[in-house]
Amino acid sequence: MSSAEGTDAPAEADASTDEPEQEAPPRDERREALLESVQAELGDAVVGSHIRPGDDLWVRVTNESWVAAGEAVKHKLGCTYFDFLSVIDWLPSPYGKGEDDPSAPPEDPSPDKGAIKQGYTGGDTRFQMLARLTDLRRHVSVTLKADVPDTLSMPTWVHVFAGANWHEREAHEMFGIGFDGHPDLRHIYLPGEFEGYPMRKDFPLLSRMVKPWPGIVDVEPMPGVEDEADDAAEASA
Amino acid sequence: MPASLTKLLNTSRKYSMWVYQWGLACCAIEMGAAFASPRYDVMRLGVIPFPSSPRQADFVVISGTVTDKMAPAIVRLYQQMPDPKYVISMGSCANCGGPYWDSYSVTKGVDQLIPVDVYVPGCPPRPEALLEGILLLQEKIQNEDIGARWRGDPIVVS
Repeated sequence: MSSAEGTDAPAEADASTDEPEQEAPPRDERREALLESVQAELGDAVVGSHIRPGDDLWVRVTNESWVAAGEAVKHKLGCTYFDFLSVIDWLPSPYGKGEDDPSAPPEDPSPDKGAIKQGYTGGDTRFQMLARLTDLRRHVSVTLKADVPDTLSMPTWVHVFAGANWHEREAHEMFGIGFDGHPDLRHIYLPGEFEGYPMRKDFPLLSRMVKPWPGIVDVEPMPGVEDEADDAAEASA
Repeated sequence: MPASLTKLLNTSRKYSMWVYQWGLACCAIEMGAAFASPRYDVMRLGVIPFPSSPRQADFVVISGTVTDKMAPAIVRLYQQMPDPKYVISMGSCANCGGPYWDSYSVTKGVDQLIPVDVYVPGCPPRPEALLEGILLLQEKIQNEDIGARWRGDPIVVS
């Protein structure tokens, strides 16, 4: 599900509704059957899908049909177990990664530097909703995805799955996504006075802005590594 | 206060310390091993890990990651404890933020909220390390001038 996996396959190729990679030798009939029934229920609302045989199924729907997709998959296809609901921010981090100096620009040699690359099933927007539903009888799961429009507002799933309430509150405070019709859109984890949306990629880590990562000064070679280097130097000398 | 009486008082206090456990993360597992297992047997040191509220505790072990959201609860816990009261900060997270030092939600050390008497380093520290921290706290209590403490003078540790 990470962006690194997503960039393996071109996003445009995955965005088609019929799966070109299903001609490949490993087939997954259960997930293909589930995908076909999703397409039969939702029709044009399905704008992308991806199957990893024996592993998982992704279906991207239009954001207008987000609620309809949840209801159809729950009530008509038997995926009654709501696993989770969350948001992905596909923006490349402007602060680099890991232990980089946060004030330096990230090193990205690719020509489309800074471009947003969505993962499986493609996409058009920086933020994407995703929700995972499971059919406990057939033991098969589907990850529903939808683009979040620039208004950063999505319809709520609370009346489809009551358990989506807290997940949407978390998505609201971490990513700043609004949920129309949510009964109680307060912070769930953050302190009340917290400002900003910490799971967005452009949320600055202020601690690192003020002071470099102190753990990096402790880097020292493992004992064996240094010995081997010394041995090699002695042997060559 | 006569020195011999101070010594008696301090010896009594240091071998009857009720400890409140404030376990916040994985350090609490090590604290549980130190306080609740016969292997380490903390009660041989005169530490009693059974207060039912902070109001009956002599010191508290803050073990684990202190978040900004938990901060008001820790300040309130400290205010509820009766004087004389002590704090042991256990583990890297409680000492300075630890591996979550740059997180948006983690307090950079519990000493930003309440005064800390003993820092136990480690991630997480072994139970033996916590026991050594308790011994250091007992040494500090033994050397306190309790009369000065009651008068409100600064604590003298010799």
